[in-house]
Amino acid sequence: MAARRKSRGESRVLRYLVLGSWALVCLLPILWFLSIGFRPRTEVITPRPIYWPTFSLDAWNLLVSDWPIALYLRNSVLAVTGSVIIDLILAIPAAYALARYDFRGREDIGFYILSTRMMAPAIVAVPIFFLFRQMGLLDTIWALMLIYAAINLSLVTWIIRSYMLDIPKELEDAARTDGASDLRILWEIIIPACRPGIITAAVIAAIFAINEFLFTLLIASTANAYTMSVALANFTGGSDGIIYNAIALVSFLAFVPILILVILVQKHLSRGLTMGAVKG
Amino acid sequence: MASIRLQNIAKRYGAFVGVQNMSLDIADEEFLVLLGPSGCGKTTTMRMIAGLEDPSDGQIIIGGEVVNDIDARDRDVAMVFQGYALYPNMSVYENIRFPLRMRGIPGAEHDARIRQAAEMVELGSFLDRKPGALSGGQRQRAALARAVVRQPQVFLMDEPLSNLDAKLRQSMRVQIKHMQRQLKVTTVYVTHDQIEAMTLADRIVIMNRGAIQQVGTPDQIYSDPANSFVAGFIGSPPMNLIEGSARDGRFLAPGVSVPCPGTVTGKVTLGVRPEDCRVAGEHVQGQVYGVEPTGDVTYLTVLAGAKKIEVKAARDYRAEIDTAVGITFDPARLYFFGEDGQRIREGA
Repeated sequence: MAARRKSRGESRVLRYLVLGSWALVCLLPILWFLSIGFRPRTEVITPRPIYWPTFSLDAWNLLVSDWPIALYLRNSVLAVTGSVIIDLILAIPAAYALARYDFRGREDIGFYILSTRMMAPAIVAVPIFFLFRQMGLLDTIWALMLIYAAINLSLVTWIIRSYMLDIPKELEDAARTDGASDLRILWEIIIPACRPGIITAAVIAAIFAINEFLFTLLIASTANAYTMSVALANFTGGSDGIIYNAIALVSFLAFVPILILVILVQKHLSRGLTMGAVKG
Repeated sequence: MASIRLQNIAKRYGAFVGVQNMSLDIADEEFLVLLGPSGCGKTTTMRMIAGLEDPSDGQIIIGGEVVNDIDARDRDVAMVFQGYALYPNMSVYENIRFPLRMRGIPGAEHDARIRQAAEMVELGSFLDRKPGALSGGQRQRAALARAVVRQPQVFLMDEPLSNLDAKLRQSMRVQIKHMQRQLKVTTVYVTHDQIEAMTLADRIVIMNRGAIQQVGTPDQIYSDPANSFVAGFIGSPPMNLIEGSARDGRFLAPGVSVPCPGTVTGKVTLGVRPEDCRVAGEHVQGQVYGVEPTGDVTYLTVLAGAKKIEVKAARDYRAEIDTAVGITFDPARLYFFGEDGQRIREGA
């Protein structure tokens, strides 16, 4: 009995050891960024590795004094949040129609929506630039919201649709005989039932949006619409050369909103990523 | 409370015929069971009554009103589904409340009606739970409460007990029947389980391949089957159907020789229920194929020629396999079916 308990205790130690190592591997890039971000510039590029770098706020001070980094972060968060909201407003009804209504060309329309994602974004860069100039939206976060939403709409629609396909048809039949209209069914039955899928889609869209660079660079020309991803580019050239510790710090700051988002919705996310995959 | 009339309704999916030219009158307050093997069109028929499917042809009349063009949500019909179909994000209380909200019933009435419905299905203490935290039987009771709460004109139940274990099924069956008698609501109940059909129904409609085979009370269906399909479908174990030929008042098949009415001639099928067979005598000369004691009765399978005949024997009957055995049929309870499967009635 004692031996068995001991072996169980050992296996628990082993389990924590393995999980702990894995967590460390996952966290390493983030720790690495932090370590670069908070060391002096002279210790960033050295031929010999430095195991205990000097702690320094050089990069932080540079960011705070020379760049409106808080504004960039705000722009990123607003543009991403807005785009995700637009995506959900448009994608949920579209996904429902594609999942449930029987109409001519349904599969073709579904595929067309997905195919917009297959195009190389650079192809539409110039027309989009002119379009936004015409609308007077250049260098605004409204333009960023629209463009991020457009980029992710197809993906969000498809993810949500696949979750909706897994909801038993009986639920809708029951709601209908209970006296609910189509919109009521969507709002009260379908959306709550595929909430994990909606959250999963929203997180994926947010990650794509916050990392978007090409169109942001095209549309933003001042701090009005500069986001974290474009701000990064500020440190890669110019008279000061590549400022690696500032880049590391900006990257880390850009990662924080997504980290917070994922921690907030973690419970639904882990359920969401598996639920859609398994039928039944 | 309402009667239901189906007039020549049909449902076709492309070339496939789900239900063909079906007419049926269901009386007010009646408990009607649609019984048949899977794919026989019983669920489709029910879904057409609910308004979840449109009939390809014919009329559906509920309470004197043609409802073909009335949407499911505006027909005053409550349905209980095989998979319960409880809304997973709502508590049991909210589930039961949903139809009241959707139908614009004043909020002040909700609580009393919900508690009354929950009381009726003995679910009072589970109102705060989510469906996921309920057992199968509790979920089914919650689904029943949700149907009961709005006091509809018609109940539709689509195999509501098929996901429950045998013991629970029996107690739920009694509960459903009691509830229907109490509420006096016209009920259509779909099942493939003949015991459910026999125990619950005022009348049974037996369906096969989209068509009605027979409509009648459980007694009529059991003791007066219209054709060999009904005869073979009802009863457990089912009726023995022995193919043979009849000539000069005698039915003959390998190992079987039974007197029959003179009107029965040619290739016919003899039907006899296991409980109308007696061990001894010589209508059948065969060998014991197997003996299955169940406690209150022993089932004996006799091999006559290549045909296995089921016999309900006395509870203490025992025999070794392959021993010779004779069987007598109750001459008053023999059924003869023609080549088309229809019953050959005496004097007809």
